[in-house]
Amino acid sequence: MNTFESWLLLIIIMIPLIGAAVFIFMPKDREEMIQWSATILGLITMVLSIYCFAAYNHNDGGFQFANSWIWLDLPSNPIIGQQAIQLNLGIDGISAPMIMLTGIVMFTGVLASRSISDRPKEFFVLFFLLISGVFGVFASLDLFFLFFFYELSVLPMYLLIGIWGSSTDFKTFIRTKEYGAMKLMLYLVAGSVLIWISILAIFAESGLGTFLIPALSEIDFNTTFQLIIFPLVALGFGILAGLWPFHTWSPDGHVAAPTAVSMVHAGVLMKLGAYGIIRVGMFLLPEGAEQWAPVLLGLGTVNVIYGALSALGQRDLKYVIGYSSVSHMGYVLMGIATLNVIGLSGAVLQMFSHGIMTALFFVVVGVIYERTHTRDIGVLEGIAKKMGWVAVLFVIAGLTSLGLPGLSGFVAELLVFIGLFQTYPILGMLGIIGAGITAIYILRLVAKVFFGKLNEDIWNNMVDSKFSKQADSNYWERVSSVVLAITILVVGLFPFPFIKVIDTGVTEILAAMAGSL
Amino acid sequence: MESNNTLGLHAAWIIPSISAVAFLIIVVSMRIAGYFYSDRTKLALLAPIVSITAILAGFILFWLVLLDVLNFGGGSISMNWLVVGLTEIRWGIFVDKVSVAMLGLVTFISLLVQVYSIGYMKGDKHFEWYFAIHALFAAAMLTLILADNLLFLYFAWELVGLGSYLLIGFWWEKRSAAEAAKKAFITTRIGDVCLLIGIILLFKATGTFNISTIFHIAESGGISDAILNSSILLIFIGAMGKSAQFPFHVWLPDAMEGPTPVSALIHAATMVAAGVYLVARMMPIFELAPEIMLIVMIIGLITFIFAGSMALVMSDIKRVLAYSTISHLGLMMLCLGTGGVAAAIFHLIVHGIAKALLFLGAGSVMHSIDNETNIWKMGGLRHRMPITAITFFIGAASLAGLPPLAGFFSKDELLLSILHDGQYVVLAITLLGVFLSALYMARVAIVPFLGSTPKHLEQSHESSSIMWVPLVILAILSAGIGFLILPLSSTYPGWAEFIDPSHHFELEPWLMILSIILALAALIFGWSVYLRKSVSAKQIIEFAPSFYKTILNKYYIDDLYQWIIDKCVLAFGNLVALFDRVVINDKAVDGSAISVYMSALKTRVLQTGYLFTYGAAMMLGACGLAILWWILLD
Repeated sequence: MNTFESWLLLIIIMIPLIGAAVFIFMPKDREEMIQWSATILGLITMVLSIYCFAAYNHNDGGFQFANSWIWLDLPSNPIIGQQAIQLNLGIDGISAPMIMLTGIVMFTGVLASRSISDRPKEFFVLFFLLISGVFGVFASLDLFFLFFFYELSVLPMYLLIGIWGSSTDFKTFIRTKEYGAMKLMLYLVAGSVLIWISILAIFAESGLGTFLIPALSEIDFNTTFQLIIFPLVALGFGILAGLWPFHTWSPDGHVAAPTAVSMVHAGVLMKLGAYGIIRVGMFLLPEGAEQWAPVLLGLGTVNVIYGALSALGQRDLKYVIGYSSVSHMGYVLMGIATLNVIGLSGAVLQMFSHGIMTALFFVVVGVIYERTHTRDIGVLEGIAKKMGWVAVLFVIAGLTSLGLPGLSGFVAELLVFIGLFQTYPILGMLGIIGAGITAIYILRLVAKVFFGKLNEDIWNNMVDSKFSKQADSNYWERVSSVVLAITILVVGLFPFPFIKVIDTGVTEILAAMAGSL
Repeated sequence: MESNNTLGLHAAWIIPSISAVAFLIIVVSMRIAGYFYSDRTKLALLAPIVSITAILAGFILFWLVLLDVLNFGGGSISMNWLVVGLTEIRWGIFVDKVSVAMLGLVTFISLLVQVYSIGYMKGDKHFEWYFAIHALFAAAMLTLILADNLLFLYFAWELVGLGSYLLIGFWWEKRSAAEAAKKAFITTRIGDVCLLIGIILLFKATGTFNISTIFHIAESGGISDAILNSSILLIFIGAMGKSAQFPFHVWLPDAMEGPTPVSALIHAATMVAAGVYLVARMMPIFELAPEIMLIVMIIGLITFIFAGSMALVMSDIKRVLAYSTISHLGLMMLCLGTGGVAAAIFHLIVHGIAKALLFLGAGSVMHSIDNETNIWKMGGLRHRMPITAITFFIGAASLAGLPPLAGFFSKDELLLSILHDGQYVVLAITLLGVFLSALYMARVAIVPFLGSTPKHLEQSHESSSIMWVPLVILAILSAGIGFLILPLSSTYPGWAEFIDPSHHFELEPWLMILSIILALAALIFGWSVYLRKSVSAKQIIEFAPSFYKTILNKYYIDDLYQWIIDKCVLAFGNLVALFDRVVINDKAVDGSAISVYMSALKTRVLQTGYLFTYGAAMMLGACGLAILWWILLD
């Protein structure tokens, strides 16, 4: 491995971080400059992250692009041992697609945020900080830094939602953005408390004096310890993954957040949770995972059906997408809990697929909201006439969501279903029925909002005067959504290159599990 | 790609691929052209040229495949699509006599319909998009026919559904079209959910999606009865959804909101036949489950009679044809239930050609009289549009079963298959249905085309040649193709034996004569009711007015479903959403937040800020500890 590759992950983490620092020193009134540098940095990061995935050698497997920098080294201390804490970076077949996902969502998110006119400088500073944290979590092989980056990605959320978000106000139902931001914050902090406790417990129990994940995974923790700690890990990370009944922060948070933040939030942040369950829960505590899998599976099933039904009952476009995320993350949880290669590969692919799909949803819904200042399904009708691109791209995202073959969602869900049928055919059937309900809410929404006759009077009243000539998405938003749509198509038609990489990671985790049982 | 076989097999997989490429070319070039030319109408013809070239190439390659099948008997090729762990999922195609027959039907009808559409859709705002979806549909439908494994079949199965959704909703600015598209997708989706479950169940039992491997395993008893029966039933439910069998039939009449050529292609000749094709394709394992075969037969019979009765009372020409399609699909299912694959497929082909002809004829009428679809507002059109009228008569007579048109032969074959299965009661009811279908065909042909011309129709005229040439071609085939049933030469032993060598060509003269008598009786009856008016339709209705009303309201089944969707499914969704908001969010989540806040309010009192309270508390604590210590030490 050459020097470039061994530094690649650090570069990917540092670009947004340094970018954020540079933005701070840029003059406030040079909005163009900030937007352009954000776009360029986003593009570079995306290209590097795709390179990361493409260059991952699935024949070798294991952790690649690895490199480490010692951070805390107390050779003489009996508890905190030699090289106790190190920034140890590396990716395997599970984190490689996640890195790529983050890169793509970051770039498309930046494009979708070019229209932000309220304090763009501060927005991009916080947004880049958030992204840097997300990259860090996926790349870290050290529990301490994993947690550090996790917190780094959670904190900017509060400000991003609180300042740039939007409130929902139907007469019978009011949710302010401050409420959404606060709720999200409290939930995620509660989750991180559980995570921190379990990380320290694992550290202490191992007696190795290190936070390094590969080293810790060699240890056979005793069964009682695993049984107690695994639920803490699963719950702490599960909150972030939208685990029922701790999911309510997620629709409220999605709805309140500005477009790019919703994209990162639903597209990437929720995957941190699922990733954490796999990386920390299953990898370090295999016996606990084995024992608790049925519970996770049951809750995942509830997620799927409950999320889909709730989505059916929503009036706000973004709430529909929010609940559909809860429903789709259910497939991820179910896939993880199958504990077999197919199901788990499906879960990881679903993480990727859902991230892209939901980002696409939020881009187009963001455009609609910006133009019309409403997301009320009852008010919008026949807007495909004015917003052709938006309509087509929304339909693509919708079809992905209901699992149309040829698009990424189908492959991922199919693998989860096949995995489920190996051991739990009834739950597998419920999962497929959930996909059926998805068709109902998506198609109802499409038929109501995009199709039908546009009432010109209502439209003229509704549309922002800035956009009365050209209501459809602008070039940047088009590029952003088309990049996402193409990704969906590529994964849907040619899933093998993706599955090959995912498969290596999944096989290793399951082998580690089988070895310890 | 493994290649172990002949030229024809490679030709076979190229056929759908060309249309898929055509779809991409049209979509991309549409966008690019949009940037360079503000006036896209100049380039409009580009789209049909691309899609028609693709399907024409498909039709030419079909002959190559046919030749190959005739000489070598077909075969299969496949390639890897996905490998997960130790599980391989392959993509592959399989060619035999049945699939090659379907290949011919689909490429041929698609070709004619697309040519016809150039005239029919001329000047439409989304002209290019129309042909793009046609290309996509053709690719998916051809893939469905050729697929050698169930997953690949499901893949194509869903994509033809997408094509149908997009084409029904083609005029999406009409609310009714948008709703019809949604209804079609969701109704068939219910079937698709079952189909997917069935497929995965079979995969679990056999470890493969490959159809012939599944047959081998099933025939050697490798699948338990419970799994076999339930998966076959689920697959059949999927077929029911696509083929609009009772109780999933509701979407097809509404699908007539799409452009008429679409109804001809997708909702008469090809896609709706996919369910029948699937059952025919899976027949070797259906035969292992006699109970399911009985269900297939009963569902087919119910659909046949039930849809036939509705076709008799509708006044919208397209809806009459739609219900007649459902009815005929029911007849095919019924025949499959008795094991008559060859007869069902033959009827599928004959019906596909005739029904495409009828729909295109109806489209030709609508095109010239300002999109009027009510048959009672038409009349005497044979004077104005003679070619349309004559071809329409041929199609209708064929489906009514008049000799020597194709429908006569195919219907006879179906009846024979039921007779051989020994289902005499079913045969009797089927004969009633035969009478019914001849009657509604007489009605839909007589009312618009014969009689006197109303004043407002005097300006109507024959359609352009690009529209009537396909009609003539279809009419010739509709008239002549029936002879394929006969043993024409020493090398061709008749259709039944050609498809399944264990069968032999037979005739049952009494059945043949009976069906001719029934068809003629229906025609004469229709003639006297609708043209001579010597029998009053009103008087017939008055025998049972409420029954008539029930049929007219489609047996209230659509209303029932609407009620279930609104009052059950949506209400349940709203309930869950409300539960989430009120119980989980407001009570549990906000509630716990509030209780933390409230307890903070309570405990805040302790924080008085006075030294003496803290001092007193300290003293009390110290005393308490001292006592505790003293007790413990004791």
